[in-house]
Amino acid sequence: MIELLKSLRQHLLTGVSFAIPFIACGGILIAAAIAFAPMTPTGPDFTQAPRLRLVLDIGTAALTLMLPVLAGYISYSVAGKPGLLPGFLGGYLSGQVKAGFLGAMLAGLVAGYVVQGLKKVPVSKYLRPIMPILVIPIVSGAFIGVLMIKVLGVPIALLMQNVSRGLVSMSTGNNIVLALILGAMIAFDMGGPVNKTAFFFGAAMIREGNYQIMGACAAAICTPPLGMGLATLIRKRLWSNEEREAGLAAIAMGLIGITEGAIPFAASDPIRVIPSIVIGSAVASAIAMAAQVGDHAPHGGPIVLPVVDHRVAYVLAILAGTVLTASLVVLLKTRNNKVAARKTEAA
Amino acid sequence: MKIVAVTACPTGIAHTYMAAARLEKIAKNFGHEIKVETQGAMGIENRLTENDIRQAHIAIFAVDIEVEERERFNGVKVIQVPLQEALKNPENIFSKLQH
Repeated sequence: MIELLKSLRQHLLTGVSFAIPFIACGGILIAAAIAFAPMTPTGPDFTQAPRLRLVLDIGTAALTLMLPVLAGYISYSVAGKPGLLPGFLGGYLSGQVKAGFLGAMLAGLVAGYVVQGLKKVPVSKYLRPIMPILVIPIVSGAFIGVLMIKVLGVPIALLMQNVSRGLVSMSTGNNIVLALILGAMIAFDMGGPVNKTAFFFGAAMIREGNYQIMGACAAAICTPPLGMGLATLIRKRLWSNEEREAGLAAIAMGLIGITEGAIPFAASDPIRVIPSIVIGSAVASAIAMAAQVGDHAPHGGPIVLPVVDHRVAYVLAILAGTVLTASLVVLLKTRNNKVAARKTEAA
Repeated sequence: MKIVAVTACPTGIAHTYMAAARLEKIAKNFGHEIKVETQGAMGIENRLTENDIRQAHIAIFAVDIEVEERERFNGVKVIQVPLQEALKNPENIFSKLQH
């Protein structure tokens, strides 16, 4: 069992190591474009800035490729070359059905193990050559396609609808509880369906003249990458060189409100990272709500400061969430390392 | 002597495996011990372990494409030939080794 978990982790890490440059390139280019575009009540305005628009489009393309690359190389790590096709396909479809990076990780693992299974099917010597070029790609591709679109995509769409409706009905109740939920949702899958549901809800509320819901979301949006970046700075020993570099990129992305900056960390150690960022974002969100922070733009992070009401409270909310996320993740990682060290000593 | 080898061609469904079979046969004729890894469309098969590579006197790459995980062979003497060489004149490869 532990062996299986270890190899799962290794496959995920392989995928992440291939995906990191895509997140860095996409995230930083998008962040740069947004940073230099004027922030308006409808979000960053690119109509007068064709060059920034170009930078944004390139960044968006790189970030769109991130999901197929992540899933493709997870699957490659499991099953070798024949794993690439269903992995890439599953990752692409994960983007299409808005299943985000968690969907892509699932797609990569499933694709890999399906191919692994197909490779073991006994076939006659004469059919063997067509297995890798015809049978395995088509069968595994069809399987992962049905899985992503029908089995995963449909319920995700339904769930997003229902949760949106639930959020609307909650918006008349206790605002702090709503903010906690929204913050947790924003951090949970960093740009995936849960995040998008919360974000679109906040953005829709701006149009209704309620700026505080987006204010709460805006604070939550940036604390995952900022918190993870801070964690890599305060406890250097806990992280690989690759992760420390991703940490710097994450801080840059966090400042501009790109939650995706935390994905490399969450993908390589979801069990410790996701709870840390969820709690940090929920708290940042609740503080912003309690202080009646309003955000007039459908975007988050320190970059929207010019269109925020109660700016000091907004900054404090972000700082609190960031420090909390960093402390939690450092605590969990350190504890885990100690347990691991004790185990190796015992063995 | 102990030899490890890698075969790989772009399609990876026929020549990769034919070359591997050739190398195994001819190496035996020359009295060498050989293990051949194929990097075909199925991915890496008959994978060379760390141990295999460390114990090998020489590595033969009969490839038309880049060898996957080449870094495993750091510190081993490598002879690289086009895959055709392993199919047509495998003897040449081994007779060169004698010197």
